[in-house]
Amino acid sequence: MHDIYTLGIDVGSTASKCIILKNGTEIAAKSLVDVGAGTSGPHRAIENVLARAGMEEHDIDYTLATGYGRNSLMGLADKQMSELSCHARGAYFLFPQVHTVIDIGGQDVKVMRIENGAMTNFQMNDKCAAGTGRFLDVMARVLEVKVDELGELGAQSTKRVEISSTCTVFAESEVISQLANGSDSRDIIAGIHRSVAHRVTGLARRIGVQDQVVMTGGVAQNQGIVGALQEELGCEIHTSPLTQYNGALGAALFAYQIAKKKAAKQS
Amino acid sequence: MSNLENLFNKFEQAASSPAGQLAAYKAQGKKAIGVLPYYAPEELVYAAGMVPFGMWGSNKKTISRAKEYCATFYCTIAQLAVEMLLDGTMDGLSGVITPTICDTLRPMSQNIRVSMSDKMPVIFLAHPQNRFDENGLRFTISQYTNIRKKLEEIAGHPITDDDIREAIKVYNACHVEQRRFVKLAGEHPEAVSAVKRSAVLKAGWFTLKDEYTKMLKELNDELEALPKVEWPGTKVVVSGIIFDNPALLQIFDDYQIAIVADDVAHESRTFKTDIPDDADPMMALARQFANRDHDVLLYDPASAKNRRAEYVAQLVKDSGADGLVLFMQQFCDPEEMEYPYLKKELDAQNIPHIKLGIDQQMRDFGQARTALQAFADVLAIG
Repeated sequence: MHDIYTLGIDVGSTASKCIILKNGTEIAAKSLVDVGAGTSGPHRAIENVLARAGMEEHDIDYTLATGYGRNSLMGLADKQMSELSCHARGAYFLFPQVHTVIDIGGQDVKVMRIENGAMTNFQMNDKCAAGTGRFLDVMARVLEVKVDELGELGAQSTKRVEISSTCTVFAESEVISQLANGSDSRDIIAGIHRSVAHRVTGLARRIGVQDQVVMTGGVAQNQGIVGALQEELGCEIHTSPLTQYNGALGAALFAYQIAKKKAAKQS
Repeated sequence: MSNLENLFNKFEQAASSPAGQLAAYKAQGKKAIGVLPYYAPEELVYAAGMVPFGMWGSNKKTISRAKEYCATFYCTIAQLAVEMLLDGTMDGLSGVITPTICDTLRPMSQNIRVSMSDKMPVIFLAHPQNRFDENGLRFTISQYTNIRKKLEEIAGHPITDDDIREAIKVYNACHVEQRRFVKLAGEHPEAVSAVKRSAVLKAGWFTLKDEYTKMLKELNDELEALPKVEWPGTKVVVSGIIFDNPALLQIFDDYQIAIVADDVAHESRTFKTDIPDDADPMMALARQFANRDHDVLLYDPASAKNRRAEYVAQLVKDSGADGLVLFMQQFCDPEEMEYPYLKKELDAQNIPHIKLGIDQQMRDFGQARTALQAFADVLAIG
């Protein structure tokens, strides 16, 4: 049987991610473009990943789209699935002992319960940006730092500052007040991380938190959030260097399952 | 076009154009009375020879003028009802009945009285909490008698007991067909999409019940004759106050999530309880209200036993559903207060469920789409 190449595309609200998998086990190429649904990001991410793998579109056996903008790729993708299923699948591939997945994306927070690799329950945030990547974007802007600097800066905090509001708009006002009162921005950042962790923990407890806990999505790159979550949940949180690609990885894995079945039928 | 499609089109037309329905009745010389949620005795409106016209908000309007009267924590159903009264959409009405079962409807009834009473009669209705014993029944009858008098004034003629008896017959016959339709829609999701199911049920709020029952019976007979088809998707029960936005319902159809039963105020909660036999037709209506049960909006002396949650869980099991989708109407205190008990029972019985927050100002359902698709995945595995 020939090698099976599958493409997983995760069109998020703030970034587009692609992974090409060889035979459902080996990552042949990956790409990330920093804009998501409704932009040129998804198509650019696909072009990049194909170029990196030295492949053409027709070399791909099956393409599966996920993420907020998954429905916008109808012509390109063979199928689309919810990002919850794909994140659960990706996390199980990276951490076979996983039982809880926390995914903080650009505009959603999701917590998934996994049993034997399958998602059995989940919770999503309400229609509110609190605790999401967007919340961190807004705070970074007010503090005049880049969002990917937040983790490092928060680690330098020496004094506890509380950001009590869970509403993005009011939290922004609170941060401005703290700055006006002379609080150190690094302390404020650590407070913001705890605020996000607090919000996400509440959601996670609705379905129960069970070891191993894996955090996925772009925000998992922020060690300040991961640390604050570990403190709040009282357990270790596992992350992977592929965290931002986790949804695309899950999509490529599902694509492989389907492509394998199709190949078996044909042979 | 098949007769089935033809019938669906008629229901969809009525459901999507309440203004058209109202204008058509007015053109026939009929008067129409707005009926706000919940449990107004619209049989009395019918008995008066007028058209009861349901007012459950709108999926097309934006709240603007209602802000002058409504607190921000009113649900959008209430705010949009006020909006439609203020902006002239409901000018064709000859009166409006304002029940006061929840904490929003009570002040809203006064907002409507203040803002609208120069334009049309506003008929207040306070249902009793203790509705079962003799005093409760007498209280309900006194409230309904007041409504009867006000309706007689609007109609310009008396409503006789025989008129009410006839209306009761018409409404009970309609309940039978409505329940039959819900069952048949669950058995034939390949023919009755979630969008169509909603349109059929919604049309009942804007159509005279005798006409509606006739159309519904014809539809039910067609559905009953369909061959049994194996459903490849999942099956759910839906719970909540109202979920009638076609864009939201389309998601159910896109992911092959069939609605096999409902515990929705706008749908089955309204027609699951028939009007019992009684020599006194006013007592019959009062007893129907007393007999309403397993309802978040109504007092349950045995609420500590969590009977309602058990009822909903049993509904999921009896209907053969794989899980439950709860649409939580924003700012709906009764539903929010009840949810922890419902969740506890569903979890205890291992019934998967999701809770999705909605309101009638929502135009984008991206998050609901993701959640429903993921829920369908979970159910397919289960």
